[in-house]
Amino acid sequence: MVEVNDMFYACSANDEIANAGEYGGAVTTIMKYLLEEGIVDAVVAVEKSWDLYDAKPILITKPEDVIKSAGSLHCGTLNLAKFVSKYLDGARDMKIAVTCKPCDAMTLRELMKKGKVIEDNVIMIGVNCGGTMPPVPTIKMIKDVYGMDPNDVVKEEIAKGKLIMETKDGEEKGISIEELEEDGMGRRENCQRCIMNIPTNADLALGNWGVIGPLTGKATFVEVCSEKGAEILGKVVDAGLVKTEAPIEKGIEIRAKIDGIMVKQAMKQREVDFAGTSGDILEVFAEYKEEFSRCMKCYGCREACPLCYCDDCCLEAEGPEWVPGGYTPAAPFFHLTRMVHMVDACTNCGQCSEVCPCEIPVAKVWATVNNKVRDVFGYYSGVDNDVPLPFTEFGKKSYQ
Amino acid sequence: MVEIKYVPSICPYCGTGCGINFVVKDGKIVGVEPWKRHPVNEGKVCPKGNFGYQFINHPDRLTTPLIKEDGEFREATWDEALDLVANKLKEVSDEDPNKVGFYACARSPNENIYITQKLARAACGTQNVDHCARICHGPTVAGLANAFGSGASTNGYDSIEEADYIFCIGSNNMEAHPLFGRKIIRAIKNGAKLVVADPRYTPTAKLAHTYLQFKTGTDVALMNGMMKIIIENDLQDDEFIANRTKGFDELKETVMKYDLEKVAEITEADPALIEEIALDYAKAENAAIVYSLGITEHSHGADNVMSTANMAMLTGNLGKIGAGVNPLRGQNNVQGACDMGALPSDYVGYQKVVDEEATKKFSEAYQMDLPTTPGLTLVEMMNAAHAGDLKVLYIHGEDPVLSDADIKHTKESLANLEMLVVQELFMTDTAACADVVLPAAGWGEQYGTFTSGERRVQWLRKAQEPPKGAMLDWKIMEEIAVRMGRPRELFHYESAAEIWEEIRELAPLYYGITHERLLTPEGAHWPCLDPEDPCEPLMHVDKFAHPDGLGIFHALEHLGPVEVPDEEYPLLLTTTRVLFHYHAAMTRRCETLDNEVKTGFIEINTEDAKELGILNEEVVKASSRRGEIEITARVTDDIKKGIVNIPMHFSECAANMLTNSDSFDPKCKMVELKACAIKVEKL
Repeated sequence: MVEVNDMFYACSANDEIANAGEYGGAVTTIMKYLLEEGIVDAVVAVEKSWDLYDAKPILITKPEDVIKSAGSLHCGTLNLAKFVSKYLDGARDMKIAVTCKPCDAMTLRELMKKGKVIEDNVIMIGVNCGGTMPPVPTIKMIKDVYGMDPNDVVKEEIAKGKLIMETKDGEEKGISIEELEEDGMGRRENCQRCIMNIPTNADLALGNWGVIGPLTGKATFVEVCSEKGAEILGKVVDAGLVKTEAPIEKGIEIRAKIDGIMVKQAMKQREVDFAGTSGDILEVFAEYKEEFSRCMKCYGCREACPLCYCDDCCLEAEGPEWVPGGYTPAAPFFHLTRMVHMVDACTNCGQCSEVCPCEIPVAKVWATVNNKVRDVFGYYSGVDNDVPLPFTEFGKKSYQ
Repeated sequence: MVEIKYVPSICPYCGTGCGINFVVKDGKIVGVEPWKRHPVNEGKVCPKGNFGYQFINHPDRLTTPLIKEDGEFREATWDEALDLVANKLKEVSDEDPNKVGFYACARSPNENIYITQKLARAACGTQNVDHCARICHGPTVAGLANAFGSGASTNGYDSIEEADYIFCIGSNNMEAHPLFGRKIIRAIKNGAKLVVADPRYTPTAKLAHTYLQFKTGTDVALMNGMMKIIIENDLQDDEFIANRTKGFDELKETVMKYDLEKVAEITEADPALIEEIALDYAKAENAAIVYSLGITEHSHGADNVMSTANMAMLTGNLGKIGAGVNPLRGQNNVQGACDMGALPSDYVGYQKVVDEEATKKFSEAYQMDLPTTPGLTLVEMMNAAHAGDLKVLYIHGEDPVLSDADIKHTKESLANLEMLVVQELFMTDTAACADVVLPAAGWGEQYGTFTSGERRVQWLRKAQEPPKGAMLDWKIMEEIAVRMGRPRELFHYESAAEIWEEIRELAPLYYGITHERLLTPEGAHWPCLDPEDPCEPLMHVDKFAHPDGLGIFHALEHLGPVEVPDEEYPLLLTTTRVLFHYHAAMTRRCETLDNEVKTGFIEINTEDAKELGILNEEVVKASSRRGEIEITARVTDDIKKGIVNIPMHFSECAANMLTNSDSFDPKCKMVELKACAIKVEKL
């Protein structure tokens, strides 16, 4: 019997999957099982496209194709929640399982609250994330800083504060991630301030942190985060597809410690990022006015933002013309409007900054305001499932 | 169950060459998502990149060949249309190959363009093949080839991020090449100083540390004046000039005539600023020049281009990262169209028609005796049609009625042909004038390559089937050639990749770019002589591409526009593009882009508008010696007094009703699209 809050070491009972997947292939096995049993119609995951640095979403409907998504891609800087809402109609007419980084899970939670993703139809298989890296700068960094041929790198890993690259010949090189990031390299800037490394807001949270002893490298750590998660894990274990054993106590401590270190680092980064304003909308807007003045109105932030989903967007409304058509830079209202529409739910997923051709640090701006939202309303986007969205509803009165 | 896949490809709008991912749902393109692994744009795109796919499945797509009878189109079978075209081409080219002409499509993949020029040469025996570079960056091809021996950008696009100083003249890249604009933003963040010289205070100018407003068409005077200041202050790079160039004394003699006072008078620019810019450009460690159509689309376009080359050679700003002369090529594949030999003077890879050896090589390869006399350029073909000397014009995906100067003249010319064939996606203004319209497959519906303005050759992937009834361009042309009696094996290919193999075999410049290399997200830059060659984008590192390895200074005098404002037509018209549109047949059929800018406008300075009593958004009459249009006024301080601007995309208020086709650049046959005299009146 698997229950919420249970923790295990887990690995696939199938050798082929155990070898292809990272740390024992439990995620791949669970996904394959869900498809085989018809529990879901499709799996949404990330697939290697051209190379290790090129990730794309994949919609898998055949169990034998799940293996395509095995392994992790540190340059997979996607937000799958957007894929689910934009191209799968929020799983309205299908049941899906989604491999979720914490920010994917957070965003799915927000979209569920807004009715744009149907909670009952979605299983979230969470995977730990210490941050992802932008593909092109990473390739450049591997060449220039690591002195390696990016085509030879077969694996990247973040461990013990270092970003480690491993080549096909087994050569390994690690550099302090703090140093890299001081020089503007390393993880995406939103990842550097992310405090959600273990996706406990998904149904299951998996990852290698805390796996010690004989199973090191051969199994993953699983935390059961919901009833749905407990049921699924119970089924795959009962079916003999995933082997589990109780985690070593010290391993649980190590997992918490790794998370703690990363959160601490991120908190430091947040202080840097949020310095200069109190987080008040007007103050923040004034602070970043010059950056916004470059906006070429590509709508890229809107297109990439998983929380922008309106069929008829008011930014394109013909009248009244708050944001006149055809003029660049876009009127300040463009970003102010978007801010009011999404900032209470913003999950710091970073998609907006990544696609901005004008190098406006939009993700940082929204994170600054979102942080203030948390201070004022006590709402933690993507995590507080029982607290109402501050800009969407007032919530129930307390009669105590 | 729904099927969804991502298919990486390259944007079909400007020459920056950004990567995108098509989203294909159940076999149809339904969206575009970032391709973050792409080296040029890292997943970032402009509005056209985000929404420019929307035309693909538009109901207006042509899906049946059309034949005009008694002034009306009727639907025809492919056999009927192909026979009609082939018979006419054969009849006329048998009589005189100079009586047929071809326009190649600079938006199309290299493989289609290559086959267009092959159809001209290997089926019709004519050298009359050209494309819109003639009225775009023709002056770049001619001007930079004169100066450096190669007519392409000297540096890759990433280079600009390492510049210390950027002199941007006649380029509004934040609208016209937005993802190059992003590299300029990054350069500024890296500490570069940006100077923008333009008659309009553009979104690019708004990024600049220094904005120099000057009068349209006075570029040579401005740069001569700057060079005089540099020489007077002894800031020229003597070593570079001595070791790597020739013609400096003549240059010096000429520029020394351009006193600052005189230059300020010609350009109407602030002399103190001119001096400051000249000194800063010369003093910077790595100074880059960026330009685009603002300097090329003039009757002295090649002179303008050569002036930028003079400036860079004078200060030794060539052959190094962060410097160079960086023309921003217009269409996505206008570089490729030049490269593929869609030029009346050049075969693929710039092998010259006048070179007997080259012509012998291609006569053999194409099994056709070709003349060593270059054919007619685009503008000359149109003029020949007007004069009755050209009988058949085959237009592959261009829209000269909208984009060439003087629409009345263009329409008269087309009407004078015995047959106009247009191969298109949509019923454009030009297609409407055709005798036969052939529906073609478009972007996203075929494999092939584009070559961006930094000479990067990139592989396009097919994401969906063309609409039923439309055919691949190269297959249409194969069928025509065969119907003309040419051997099928000369025109038959199994795939676009097989066409690329023929291009490699015939053009040493691309021999090193194998299909395997093309499949990588990086693609490869030419020149690339060997598959092992790393093909770094930087050119002219140790020597220039002239046979003696030297760069050539050209002493140039200020000429100015052919048609200048007078009492009757007191305003100087310049034409531009807007960020949200490109080839209007495509972008105006993209809902989001159309919604952004639905029609054209004329930008007029606030003071000029006041004198004429014109209010913002008032519909006015604009007229020149060629024609008149009604158009909405956009009253603004962002344009120099005395100058007006009309974007060129909109046929209902077409800028080219007013422009002057009678204004050749003798060096490259450019017409003056960016300067003519007009008047604006209240209705």
